Amino acid sequence: MTVGAVPAARAAPVARAGRERGLAAAGLIGPAYLWLLLTIFLPLSAMLLFSFLTVAPFGAREAEFTLKHYAAFFQKEFYRTLTWRSLRLGFDVTFWCVLIGYPTALALARHVPGRWREALFLLIVLPFWSNALVRVFSWTMVLRGGGLIDQAAQAVWPEAPSLGILFTYPAIVVGLVHSFLPYMILTCYLSLQAIEPSLEEAALSLGASPLTSFRRVTLPLSLPGMLVGVVLIFVPVIGSFMEPRILGGPEGIMLGTVIEDQFTVVFNWPLGAALSYILLAIVLLLIALAAPILGRPLAAASGR
Amino acid sequence: MSAVEVRNAVKRYGALAALDEVTLAVPEGEFFGLLGPSGSGKTTLLRAIAGFVVPDSGEIRIDGQRIEGVPVHKRGIGMVFQNYALFPHLSVFDNVAFGLSVRGVPAGEIRSRVAEALRLVRLSGLEERRPRQLSGGQQQRVALARALVTRPKVLLLDEPLGALDKRLRQEMQVELKLIQRTVGITTIFVTHDQEEALTLSDRIAILSEGRLVQVGPPAEVYERPATRFAAEFLGEANLFAGRAEAGALRTPSGLAIFSALPLPPGREAILAVRPEKIQLADLAMRAPDGANRIEGRILRSIYSGSSIAYRVEVPGQELTVFEQNRAARAREEGAAVALTWAPEHSIPVAP
Amino acid sequence: MAPLAFRTVLALVLLFLYLPLAVMAVMAFNQSPLYALPMVFDTIWFERLAQNERLIGAGLNSILIALANTVIATALGTMAALAFQRYTFRGSSLLQILLLPPITIPWLIIGTAMLVLFFWTGIGRGLHAILLGHVALSLPYVIVVVGARLRSFGVSLEEAAATLGAGPWTTFRRVTLPVIAPGVVAAALFAFAVSFDQFVISYFLAPPGVSTLPVEIYSAIRKGFTPEINAISTVIILVSMGLMLAVARLYRFGGER
Repeated sequence: MTVGAVPAARAAPVARAGRERGLAAAGLIGPAYLWLLLTIFLPLSAMLLFSFLTVAPFGAREAEFTLKHYAAFFQKEFYRTLTWRSLRLGFDVTFWCVLIGYPTALALARHVPGRWREALFLLIVLPFWSNALVRVFSWTMVLRGGGLIDQAAQAVWPEAPSLGILFTYPAIVVGLVHSFLPYMILTCYLSLQAIEPSLEEAALSLGASPLTSFRRVTLPLSLPGMLVGVVLIFVPVIGSFMEPRILGGPEGIMLGTVIEDQFTVVFNWPLGAALSYILLAIVLLLIALAAPILGRPLAAASGR
Repeated sequence: MSAVEVRNAVKRYGALAALDEVTLAVPEGEFFGLLGPSGSGKTTLLRAIAGFVVPDSGEIRIDGQRIEGVPVHKRGIGMVFQNYALFPHLSVFDNVAFGLSVRGVPAGEIRSRVAEALRLVRLSGLEERRPRQLSGGQQQRVALARALVTRPKVLLLDEPLGALDKRLRQEMQVELKLIQRTVGITTIFVTHDQEEALTLSDRIAILSEGRLVQVGPPAEVYERPATRFAAEFLGEANLFAGRAEAGALRTPSGLAIFSALPLPPGREAILAVRPEKIQLADLAMRAPDGANRIEGRILRSIYSGSSIAYRVEVPGQELTVFEQNRAARAREEGAAVALTWAPEHSIPVAP
Repeated sequence: MAPLAFRTVLALVLLFLYLPLAVMAVMAFNQSPLYALPMVFDTIWFERLAQNERLIGAGLNSILIALANTVIATALGTMAALAFQRYTFRGSSLLQILLLPPITIPWLIIGTAMLVLFFWTGIGRGLHAILLGHVALSLPYVIVVVGARLRSFGVSLEEAAATLGAGPWTTFRRVTLPVIAPGVVAAALFAFAVSFDQFVISYFLAPPGVSTLPVEIYSAIRKGFTPEINAISTVIILVSMGLMLAVARLYRFGGER
């Protein structure tokens, strides 16, 4: 092939500029992603591998390939019950978060004047960024026998028996709702804020009652934000273990606590890995189902 | 020697050619306008001269020196951005001083040159303000002072007045032209506003789909559009398509249009006629010898104060005619009229 | 619904969110180790806290890791955000999607996975492993927060600096950095908070004898709790909330300013 000297010379600075830009981009991005590779993606791969081994391959132990951990999940009723318990916990917590969170966001977005709104919004999301463990612990103060709730009940009716809410299923739900409610309020509020008030005015001008205008304009437009909140709450709740442990006691056996036990008490890492992957599969399935809805706000947030 | 010279510049984004063999030369001190619809490549051309876009091939010279390999900050250009790009964390003074300070100009000289630049744009006294405390017009002036204070070889303006409202824009047009004359700097600016291009430029280049359609002084480009695109993009134009026969163009519907300019005999041709060149008259009125005269019927009139635009139906097509608003009232819709214009106003244009 | 109803909802939600924290804080000042009522005001538990070397050691570990995490995550995340903003390259959007797993996958899974890999490869457990994990969780937040700040200004400021004769380094130092500074500081505070409050990852990566504050508190709670835990928890809550108030001042949740 004959290439003229002139076009080649012309192209040179362009090619060099391209290569330099590529190096610069790689140099800036490389460290962060190498870090993520080492701490997120390689660990997830290693755990996938472990989930197919008979024993953890440490020391002189011979590990062999097996499907028995996954088989156990599908054969033993215990694990199915467990999974169902975790999913139910996810549904219950999410349900209460929606029920309380959406009206709160609506109140904030539509019925609180500007300056107050920002302060209240901050007050609502603030606990979310404080220590989750400490917040769960704080509920033990309220719920335990002789705690605040019992005291309050006895103040009204002195003979009231101790309610003993701590170490029950409702205690877990209360604690998790407390943990994740700000998420729901946040996502609903942001999507309600993004709705032009003129749209509701337009609906009213077209003869819709305030309720109809809410039902047919505001609610559908804010639904994506609410669904983002649902996914962002449901996923961590079904993977929770610390909250069920502290607030549920013996009642708090969930998929998460069993996984925790495999790694910290029983030391059956391959089984723990397999259970983690089953949990991950459920999470990914949920995210995939919600992806079309999640995609939009994410795309908007990333500005493209 | 030209201050800026572009030769055979090509830039492709995939299948789309943003610049397609563009060649032009801007002499020292000229105010040069790049005009075109969005996507025509005008901004790409400006950014290629600035150095933000690297052409796939072709040459760009500033002051005779090739600059394809030279990074933006070593090209010695001044640029005013569409939204001014004033540094929000710096005062007006520090914004204007930025270019001098990065060149290591001594503090005393910076002070005097910034003061001089701010005087030039009539902003003395606002040195300590932050950009967001300024009005749109003031921000525009700061951006201009900042671009000029380093005494660049060429000034590039990207839609410089696009963000201002109409009245302010007209004021700034006058002022921009005045400052450019005072400083005498070679200036290339991009606009999609045809009126702005006509008002400001010494010469205009019209671009379409990455190609240079026509280059020339405003009056020439307006009066003698080279192509159908140029005729329709810059101002309005009535087009007659047909076959050239014996000094006239004959349309399929039988109209004969005379032009003072030569037509290729026996071939398809297009004539463009500006709406304000056509006179409307009663049917009884005779045209002067050699003038074009066709008859038609008024479909609609659009009142816009100083003038009235008429849509007139003639055999085979509709025409637009502008008439000064001299009469007591507009012509009636449905009225039969005669349209006349001199043959030198029939401009042959390439398709 | 009437505005009154909405106000009631807001008040109840705030009560729900803050009441337990208030009870916990008040109980930290109760003399009785069994939280007996009526309460007797006493600062004994804070005094005990000051002598509790385990908790103090764990607290110092938490602060140390949070500081190191802040420096590393802010630096690496800001660099990555700059690259995303400045260069268009193949795989850019894929790389941005890869920021989601550390945020969306439950920490339980990530934490156990890290335990598996680190133990297996000899990286082992310990403060270094905890730091590795915390940075991974903080990076996406930093990249998103700094990226939002960068986007709100676009590239034209940097281009303007280049036309005025500033080279890449001068442009970064004198234009980019000052302009994104509030975003970077907010991201750094975020990173500190993420690490300081992180429990799950630390829990799986802490070997016996080494712990961070949340890990220490968790084991104390499981052993049966004392008002000392209330005291340290109250301190933690105040520190975390103070940090987030600082972030809110700098960043505002809309990302304006």
